[in-house]
Amino acid sequence: MNAAADIPAPPADRRLHPWSWLFVLLQQLRQFVVPLLVLLFAGRRNGPGEFADWAPLLGVVVLVAVAVLQYFTYRYRVGADGISIRSGLLQRTQREIPFARIHNVALHQSLLHRLFGVAEVRLESAGGQKPEAQMRVLGLADALALERQVRTRGTAAADAPGSPAQAADGEVLLALSTAEVVRLGLVSNRGMIVLAAAFGVVWQAFPERAAADWLQRLFREAMGYAGQLHLGWVGTVAAALALLALFVALLRLLSVALALVQYHGFRLSGGRGRLTVERGLFARSRTSVASRRIQAWHLQETALHRLFGRRSLRIDTATGGREDDPRRLRELAPIATPAACDALAGGLLPAAQWPPAQWRALPPGCGWRLFAGSVPWNLLVTGLLCWHFGGWGLLALLWLPWSAYAAWRQARYLAYAVDARLVAVRGGWWSRWWRFAEIDKLQGLRLQRSPLDRWLGTASLWLDTAGAGAMSPPLRIRFLPEAEARDLYHRLGRALAARRLRW
Amino acid sequence: MNDAQDAPPPAAPPPLPAAPDWQPLPPRGALLYALGAAAALAVPLGLGLGLAGATLLDLPRLPAIAGAALLGLALGAAVGLLRHRRIGWKLDADGFATRRGGLWRTETLVPVSRVQHLDLERGPLERRLGLATLVVHTAGTRLAAVRLPLLALADAEALRAHLARQVEADDAL
Repeated sequence: MNAAADIPAPPADRRLHPWSWLFVLLQQLRQFVVPLLVLLFAGRRNGPGEFADWAPLLGVVVLVAVAVLQYFTYRYRVGADGISIRSGLLQRTQREIPFARIHNVALHQSLLHRLFGVAEVRLESAGGQKPEAQMRVLGLADALALERQVRTRGTAAADAPGSPAQAADGEVLLALSTAEVVRLGLVSNRGMIVLAAAFGVVWQAFPERAAADWLQRLFREAMGYAGQLHLGWVGTVAAALALLALFVALLRLLSVALALVQYHGFRLSGGRGRLTVERGLFARSRTSVASRRIQAWHLQETALHRLFGRRSLRIDTATGGREDDPRRLRELAPIATPAACDALAGGLLPAAQWPPAQWRALPPGCGWRLFAGSVPWNLLVTGLLCWHFGGWGLLALLWLPWSAYAAWRQARYLAYAVDARLVAVRGGWWSRWWRFAEIDKLQGLRLQRSPLDRWLGTASLWLDTAGAGAMSPPLRIRFLPEAEARDLYHRLGRALAARRLRW
Repeated sequence: MNDAQDAPPPAAPPPLPAAPDWQPLPPRGALLYALGAAAALAVPLGLGLGLAGATLLDLPRLPAIAGAALLGLALGAAVGLLRHRRIGWKLDADGFATRRGGLWRTETLVPVSRVQHLDLERGPLERRLGLATLVVHTAGTRLAAVRLPLLALADAEALRAHLARQVEADDAL
């Protein structure tokens, strides 16, 4: 290594944790496990090729060398206004990350990390699929110190007046007890998702038909067993219902277990404009984000939530990455009472008013529009069923009155609110949602008019924010009378043009 | 190929049209737009309608697909010509607005203070015709990139210069 080009480094040049090569290696092995296995098995099958026998070993040796090299070449330095990272042996990169640009600091500790007393640190800025920097791994004390530095300097850099640093996380805004986490598991469908994923994997992993055959055999054996019992019609239905109930109960149990693993010891704390979330039973994660980086809010209340008198509050941040990335700070309150959710949002939006003083309902005709939207699908399904089963398919039309009722109920709840600082939309019936964002955080506006809209003199107004997830309802006001929509469009456009974007 | 003889971009961007009204696209791009729309409609219509027709009506398969694709070409071209005439843009104090769509109409506004960066794209055909595609990037999700195709090159450059100056003026980050 020729160090001629090196900048004279101040003494604060730091390295990763000495064990970091192990974790880099594990990560790489996880990525390369498929090619390595293919190499191993494909090599075997092709006959006694000598190269093929030790190729996987060679691969592992190369990976170890890469991991160790990375440890020796990776250095970071915490400067006055940013972090600079140097890495690479042949292709060297030096990266400067100003504190003011770091949107999110994420610490992650898997069980193995905890055993070694280390943590993985990710520094994320706005946008992009990859984090700005990923430090795999730092000693826990170093990681916490780094997080603290980013927090104090980041806020000092952004909010000009440099006030004394505050070491603690600030006051606890929300902590979930075990009972709450169990409730969260009961409300959520995590178990279902895991089961579906497992089913998919089984279907993919085994040769065609094997899984299907197995299921068929199981079903037939079960039917045979039931037939032997001579239960009769009522008995069979009861048995089927009991089985279904058992299945649902098992799913909920799985959901609760998963919620306990993921959300045990959930603690949301905040102070000096920064929010920190800590959670996890085995793998602990700790993410923090400046509260001014929150782009939009999503409050949700499903029927199950209502049963327990709870809601959940989620936020959008502009940091990139996959939506389901567990390390993203998305949930401010996975489950909390409505009052607690409102207090949390209201406390973090001091300039705006949450909940809004007055919701503006949409014109009463919009129930018909919602209903009309569902009718073609119903007719399509009916047509398909009739084609398949004959006249019995017409029974699907019985769904129409129900969907009309649902549309009517949904229309009654559909409303929006706009004031000088905040724009909010709400909707739903069984499962209710509220979506809101500060006007400063809006990025673009779109006015949309379908042929039906033009006929009825209405329009939809889309409000775009950064980092909006595909799973949350869009910030969109539908069925607005056109004049009102245009007025709002122009008013918001003017307000946005006059205000600077504040991330 | 005489791409090299393209008119050199003017040193100073020409002033933008003063009237804050919808500006249409130059008509010389209409055919190109119609071609794109026709191709986009011909493939799905040819495969979908052609195959469905062939199976349901017991027609020979290839002629059915070809017929449906031709129908798609004609329909797509007609729709494309109409749509091209509806595309417009506007730059005023509020920001940069585009509108498009004949049946489903949308009007999109990107406030000047929310522009992140700008792209000017020019394919070979667009270069021939002296046209350009302006892409305005924002930090948003659904409106992350607002595209305005087949702009006159001079307009596109003027727009880019104007919006870029705004971005420099208030570097928000």
